[in-house]
Amino acid sequence: MSAAMNRALPLLAAPVAFFAAFFAVPMIVVVSSSLMAGGVPSLGNYARVLFDQYHWDVLAATFRIAGLTTVACALLGYPLAYYLVRVVKSRALRRTCVILLVLPLFTSNIVRSFGWMVLLGRNGLVNDALVGVGILDRPMRFLGTELGIVIGLVYILLPFIVLAVGNALAAVDPALEDASSDLGATPFDTFRTVTFPLCLPGLMSGIVMVFTLAVSAYVTPALLSGGKITVFPMLIFQQYSTVFDVNYGGALSITLLVMTLVLVGLAGWIGNAGASATGRKAQ
Amino acid sequence: MIARLLLRVVSWSVMAYLILPLLVIVGSSFTATSYLAFPPQGLTLDWYGRMLGDGSYLAAFGTSTLLALVATAAALLLGVPAALAIARCEFPGKKFLLSLLMSPLVLPHVVLGAALLQYCAALGLMRSFTALLVGHIVIIMPFVLRSVLPQLTPEQRALEEASADLGARPMETFFLVTLPQIRSGLASGAIFAFISSWINVELSIFNTTAEMTTIPVKLFNYVQYTIDPVIAAVSSITIGVAALAIIILDLTVGLHLLSDRR
Repeated sequence: MSAAMNRALPLLAAPVAFFAAFFAVPMIVVVSSSLMAGGVPSLGNYARVLFDQYHWDVLAATFRIAGLTTVACALLGYPLAYYLVRVVKSRALRRTCVILLVLPLFTSNIVRSFGWMVLLGRNGLVNDALVGVGILDRPMRFLGTELGIVIGLVYILLPFIVLAVGNALAAVDPALEDASSDLGATPFDTFRTVTFPLCLPGLMSGIVMVFTLAVSAYVTPALLSGGKITVFPMLIFQQYSTVFDVNYGGALSITLLVMTLVLVGLAGWIGNAGASATGRKAQ
Repeated sequence: MIARLLLRVVSWSVMAYLILPLLVIVGSSFTATSYLAFPPQGLTLDWYGRMLGDGSYLAAFGTSTLLALVATAAALLLGVPAALAIARCEFPGKKFLLSLLMSPLVLPHVVLGAALLQYCAALGLMRSFTALLVGHIVIIMPFVLRSVLPQLTPEQRALEEASADLGARPMETFFLVTLPQIRSGLASGAIFAFISSWINVELSIFNTTAEMTTIPVKLFNYVQYTIDPVIAAVSSITIGVAALAIIILDLTVGLHLLSDRR
């Protein structure tokens, strides 16, 4: 055993033992119980999950909501990040905005979703404003619709994109952009060929983060769905909290986990391919 | 020019969208009406009084605070040695170990909560403080690693070696050289860890009971039945704690987000 190993072992013993006992083993227990039905090894639980149209409908709704949320977060978050990093000159103003961005992140999902329950209600501020301005004739239903859930999730996850893109932007040397415009590029061309490709890794990591959190969100959909829409994490919660079917619940958990990891892997792969493609073009 | 203006309008609308819900909660906690009204009608602190008079809210605040404090302390005690080993030593499976320790960041918390419920039930710890605690330590440790690891640089390493060469024992080097140098990473890691535990619902909900519950879980269970200004008052307190944590973070370590000096 090498000297480095000898030094690492005493440092790692406690954290590794802890993660093995309270993270790895519990996850293995879920996997193994998902592979048991009626006391014997079986793939029946997975068959029950995968051959039932209802589960596919729920999965489709979950991924549709998460996809819309991610797109909206990117479209709204990118301009704000650009504005805060490149346009705002006052340090105090930027600092205040950063604090206001982090404040929701430090507040529970439940508190933030609750705010939207109030705002999106039939007599809430949003409906009052939309009717008052004349965009709507009469109040519209938000609670219990996918739109309502998306509004709540975008609000909760937006800061992640703004911070990821903003930190990537802040690391881009403005001299590169100046060089581009000195060489005659229009501001839009500079953005398209210099700034955007350089921030792409930041944007991609923000997108992956938002998408995984949106797929696995439970609290926000539970509160804003009004019992009318079901997303996948709700199915898992039902199985463990009211039905107590750990075999079937385990299969649901593992299905969500695998789908999430596959999509994260896919997004990372597309991001890398995209970044290297634009990188090649830039050279 | 038009693009600039458009950017400004979009940015400020997004900022407004981010601030509005919290403003509504804090505002409506002062309403004199018995239902939630925003803008508040009248001004009263009754709902805060009602909250203080209800022992179950104070108990939940107590559980949440204790849980977050103990979990943060444990995450530091486990996370800092792990970060040192990962930054300083070469060993097989290092990359795998780091991804394992960081994976609770992307793993659905509902899945982990369900796993811990089943596992702790088998151990006879179902719905106990211990069951809550171990789950919280697992999900907040990545924040400690993420803040401490970047500070364990080769330059910082050289100072540790100098200290050892001058005859300091390993423990002396750790407390007198290493610890002061990674102070800001420890502080921001600890604050992020504390807050992540303090606001968690998705993991806690599996292992809480009616008697032993955290404040976010209590709010979650309550909001599903009724919405009243007491909930707004309790929520406002948690927003206050969040604001306090951010101000502490900004004053001690500095929120070096979105700026080039990091």
